[in-house]
Amino acid sequence: MVAAKAIEGRESRVQRLRSGAVPYFLLLPAMLALAAVSLYPIFDGGRASLHKYRYALDKGYAGTENYISIYNDPVFWQAIATTARFIIISVSIETLLGLLLALIVARELRFSGLIRVALILPMTIAPVVVGVIWRLLYASNIGIVDPLFQALGLGTPDVLAHPTSAFIGLVVVDVWEWTPLLFLIILAGLQSLPQDPFEAARVDGASALQIFFHHTLPLLRPVLLVGVVLRTIDAVGTFDQIFVLTKGGPGTATQLIAIYAYNTAFLFNQYGRSMAMLISLLACLLLLMVAALHLMRRSSELVE
Amino acid sequence: MTPRERLGSVFVYFTLAVAIGLALFPFWWMTVTSLKRPVDIFSSVALWPQQITFDNYYRLMRDYHFGPFLMNSVVVVTAAVAVSLVLGTLAAYALARFRLRFGVRRMALYAVLLVRMLPGILLVVPLYIVLAQWGLLNTRLGLILIYAGLNTSFVVWMMQSFLEEIPRDIEEAAMVDGDSRLTALRRVVLPLAAPGLIATAIFSVIATYNDFIIALALTSTPVAQTIPVGVSTLIGKIEIQWGPMAAAGVVGALPIVIFALIVQRNFVRGLTLGAVK
Repeated sequence: MVAAKAIEGRESRVQRLRSGAVPYFLLLPAMLALAAVSLYPIFDGGRASLHKYRYALDKGYAGTENYISIYNDPVFWQAIATTARFIIISVSIETLLGLLLALIVARELRFSGLIRVALILPMTIAPVVVGVIWRLLYASNIGIVDPLFQALGLGTPDVLAHPTSAFIGLVVVDVWEWTPLLFLIILAGLQSLPQDPFEAARVDGASALQIFFHHTLPLLRPVLLVGVVLRTIDAVGTFDQIFVLTKGGPGTATQLIAIYAYNTAFLFNQYGRSMAMLISLLACLLLLMVAALHLMRRSSELVE
Repeated sequence: MTPRERLGSVFVYFTLAVAIGLALFPFWWMTVTSLKRPVDIFSSVALWPQQITFDNYYRLMRDYHFGPFLMNSVVVVTAAVAVSLVLGTLAAYALARFRLRFGVRRMALYAVLLVRMLPGILLVVPLYIVLAQWGLLNTRLGLILIYAGLNTSFVVWMMQSFLEEIPRDIEEAAMVDGDSRLTALRRVVLPLAAPGLIATAIFSVIATYNDFIIALALTSTPVAQTIPVGVSTLIGKIEIQWGPMAAAGVVGALPIVIFALIVQRNFVRGLTLGAVK
């Protein structure tokens, strides 16, 4: 767990140099660059959320009009609900599968790099390409999913054409892409657990299941939490794959909040309304992020 | 090995084989589709091309502007990563080596992490408005500036953890020998940090090359559109050209797969934001 160690610093163990203003000057350009592409857009977005836009033109201060408008917009709430459902289902499955895979593999295997790369390839390529890949698998006329279902006597689902199956289809894509992340984090957590409690339990004659629930799981909890929170934060912004696969359709069945906000801004040119949605989203996201930083710090204290 | 242990072993490797199969098969399907003739794409479900053709790739270049897309990606990614490596490494050095006052160190690292976690959709509308004011919409320069800034967060984060691992005695020895701090940095620290620097550079390339939403919103023609945006232009037409689309996916994935193979060892650390070493 490098993350937290880094934040906490190692003042106690390492003597840092005292050197006047030099380090601040070294830091400054990077911090300015960061502020320019994050703080500034967020503040400017906050300003835009209080303005009315028509045909992409700023029509002046509008107070809380945009916020009231989205509050009364059922499509917005639907997008929030769809996003929440998408995240809860996907991240749960990813965590479960990741844990299972990590548990199976942890003891036996010293990973060769190649196996590792093969397993995590889905999360490294561009999400747009992930979208293309699954578009090719799902396509009713040239894909492989429909023939597979047909061979099993389950009809031809034409996954992306129907609301429910399209949503499930996107969950499958997300699970394929991101289970490797949870797997990696959990595997590292497993491999850094202290061995003593396990030996002791085994000597006492505890069964594998007992050991898992009484020792492994509690010890692993901090790592699991870090993985879940990191993945959840990332999933809130899910956009690329959906843009390629369904564009939010059919209807609004797969319209996650990022897709709706994007369309509001760039299809309907309502920058103010779009930013009102995103600023509201940011408020929730910040809570998650603070939780993430806190957890990363704590889990590393525990692991060390 | 007892029979039971052997059975366990078989089970482990079987699970692993299934997992690898599930991870890789979709890539195989895309590659195969990209090498098929249109007739073969539609005719039957074949797990390998009946007759290999590179026609789809040729059409990508001829009809779908993939030459310019590729060029844009190369220019934008190279410039943005270069700038962010310089800015980020300097800041990382300050964080890893100096005692900073007023909690600056902690604030800087929090800021870096938060920027890293922000979803692109949140930034894209205001960035669009700014670039429009500066006349930088649909330009490579506009993309370079934004990616350089965003990626700096990643470089600071990674490099300060790599630099922390280099014992400062070595550096101080060089300074006792008469090097200035800057010379010591160049002559001693950077060579030692080279593996970390290279890994960081490659992750930066991957992340920048893969970005979609920012490039999608801020560019509109092949003058500045990057590969991922180019890939998405093949969709959304009334009729999808499956062959070229599959080829575009392969073109989009290939550089990343190659880089992934190069940095195997440090891969996990970069992908998990240092949550895993």
